[in-house]
Amino acid sequence: MKSKIFLTIKILIIFILISFNLKNIAMASTFSEEQTINITKNLRCLICQGQTIHESNSDFAESMKKYIKGELENGKTNDEIFSSLIEKYGQWIVYDPGISKNTLLLWTLPLLLFLIGGAIIANRIFKKDYEN
Amino acid sequence: MIISQLGYYSLIFGLLTSIFIFFNSSIQLKKNNLVISDKTTGLIGFQFFFVFISFISLIYSFIISDFSNETVYNNSHTTKPLFYKITGTWGNHEGSLLLWLLVLTGVLLGFIFKSRNEPNNYRLLTTLFHQIIVIGFFVFVLKTSNPFNEIFPVQKEGLGLNPILQDPALGIHPPILYLGYVGTSIIFSAALASMISNYVNKNWAKNIKFWILFSWIFLTGGILLGSIWAYYELGWGGFWFWDPVENVSLMPWLSLTALLHCIVTLEKRELFKKWTIVLCIITFALSMVGTFLVRSGILNSVHTFANDPSRGIYILTFLLVLVLLSFVIFIIYENKNFTQKSEIFTLSKETAVLINNWFILYFLSVVLIGTIYPIFLDVILDEQISVGPPFYNKLILPFLIPFVLFMSIGPSMKWIKTNFKFGAKSFFVIVFTMVLSFFTVYFIGEKNIFILLLFIGFFYLLLKSLDQFRYKTKNFAQIFSHTGFSLLLISILLNSFSSREIVKNIQVGESFTLKNEKIIFKKIAIEKEKNYESIVGFFEILDAKNTIINLQPEIRIYNEPEMATSEASIKTTLFKDRFITINIIKDQNFFNVRYQHKPFMIWIWISTLIIMLGGMFAIFRKNKEVNI
Repeated sequence: MKSKIFLTIKILIIFILISFNLKNIAMASTFSEEQTINITKNLRCLICQGQTIHESNSDFAESMKKYIKGELENGKTNDEIFSSLIEKYGQWIVYDPGISKNTLLLWTLPLLLFLIGGAIIANRIFKKDYEN
Repeated sequence: MIISQLGYYSLIFGLLTSIFIFFNSSIQLKKNNLVISDKTTGLIGFQFFFVFISFISLIYSFIISDFSNETVYNNSHTTKPLFYKITGTWGNHEGSLLLWLLVLTGVLLGFIFKSRNEPNNYRLLTTLFHQIIVIGFFVFVLKTSNPFNEIFPVQKEGLGLNPILQDPALGIHPPILYLGYVGTSIIFSAALASMISNYVNKNWAKNIKFWILFSWIFLTGGILLGSIWAYYELGWGGFWFWDPVENVSLMPWLSLTALLHCIVTLEKRELFKKWTIVLCIITFALSMVGTFLVRSGILNSVHTFANDPSRGIYILTFLLVLVLLSFVIFIIYENKNFTQKSEIFTLSKETAVLINNWFILYFLSVVLIGTIYPIFLDVILDEQISVGPPFYNKLILPFLIPFVLFMSIGPSMKWIKTNFKFGAKSFFVIVFTMVLSFFTVYFIGEKNIFILLLFIGFFYLLLKSLDQFRYKTKNFAQIFSHTGFSLLLISILLNSFSSREIVKNIQVGESFTLKNEKIIFKKIAIEKEKNYESIVGFFEILDAKNTIINLQPEIRIYNEPEMATSEASIKTTLFKDRFITINIIKDQNFFNVRYQHKPFMIWIWISTLIIMLGGMFAIFRKNKEVNI
């Protein structure tokens, strides 16, 4: 019993730590070169087949890279660049679907399934305890 | 031309044999024969033989470049090297479906041989269900994807094979992948059969485990080959991009992995019967979903050879029929034949397997929803979204930490009940994990608690897996697979955080630096091959110790079809790959050079091989048990 509690606490702590840090990961980056790569890695090359702008050498991708570098030098933030691109090309261009009305199920469905699965398993394992 | 005809009629005979086997086995089932007749075994042999002849005919047509055959005309060319003429056979829609059929009939033949000691009605029922799938695919091939269509007038020259498919790794990728992918079909047939014949027990688990391992090993190998190919051929140094076509191969792999752990529990403890059957069905359904998504042309990728809605509709309908059939059978026999003792103690291997399945199924649902959600959104709301790496990273990475922790302690659990001892050795492992993780995070310079936690989890798994070598009774299969998996996660993480790259537009004679290495563009040369011309760039890399490394990336311009590809040049060492690609910039003397450091690349491949090795241990251990 003791070890079970110990384990639960451990898992809880881990989850708390994770939720604190998810934000930091999204924001981390300092160099403009690196920042450009971070952005272009999340953008779809619209004229290629399943390639990011970062990977592609197509004319479209090259001009996009220049554009983003320019915007960063103008002092735009990542979010501003992303939203202006979404406005222009649609949600299709970013690989991060983001949370919106359309994608709410996309994000929550797997998590919901995880909870349901956990409930089924807990029910199975601890059934004996209840019956006793 | 004759050979092509032979292939076609061989397919028709194959279909007729299938129908005959189907009725023959139902009659035999009614008679309740105690032994499966030689006739049935012989017929299954013939069925495989017919498909084999057909397959050989197609290969032959490709080798002799018989352009009266439409498939050959569309996908081959006389100037292609022999190897790529042969691999071109399955480098297209029709040929790859013939390969599907070959494996499909092949695994049934293998199953019949491997199951000689199993009850007869179970074997017959498996044959019966398998024939439904076989007939379905025969009709599919003949009706929508006949590889032996003739064209008239006969063409002198073919259209050629997509150059990026002209590659050794990709040549053998489809057969290996298909052995795994289509291997799951026999698991499905056997699961349905075992339900009806009331055979879901230890013996069945022992029998079907071989096929689960078989599919799992080949699927792992197929995915590995695909990744290696993507790494050096696509030219940007990545090996996995959560692309839908990659995802559809990962999904059956995940459910096979869950099934693998379940089947062992069934074998040892006669537990989770229903769930195991459900997993068998899910696994094959996922293979079919993959075939549907890739073959229908819904997904855009190199795997989509042709867009033909009728093909997609056929596979989708067929998939629904099979799922419905299994669902009905499951409902009918669910309570009738399954009695199971349901006692599970909290601290036991059974619980560990349940938790394993819980997490794996979660990962599976993330991949599945991530893959098909955009399709539904597009169809229903006409909205296009991209679901890429950020989605998968956010939903999978945090869950990996508890997953690997459970994975670390799971194997040391015992069946039924475990008494945990927390001794000095366990303490030592934890301390060692901490030290290793802190050191690694410090070394790669990512001072982030989340990344630290990931490393702690992965290293803990590694050390706990290696720790088991001390045990008296060793389960090599599990030790190798788990060690391999932890190494894989560690290498991927290290690789993604310490990859460095620089992109420069330079002329011959110029140079640039990355970290403390100097990259010098020495010269270019033009080389002419049979089916392409190439521009070779000669680069010298001077590393920190001033040793010279030569790299020769190429730009290949293939003649049939006309297309340029960029061939990476890679220097692999134990800890780091040096990766360089060049591209032409239009109307200029400059070359676009992309130079990358990819640390621990080779360990990603090695660790996957170790995972497969674990699977092989499991197969051989099973054989040993049978011998005793």
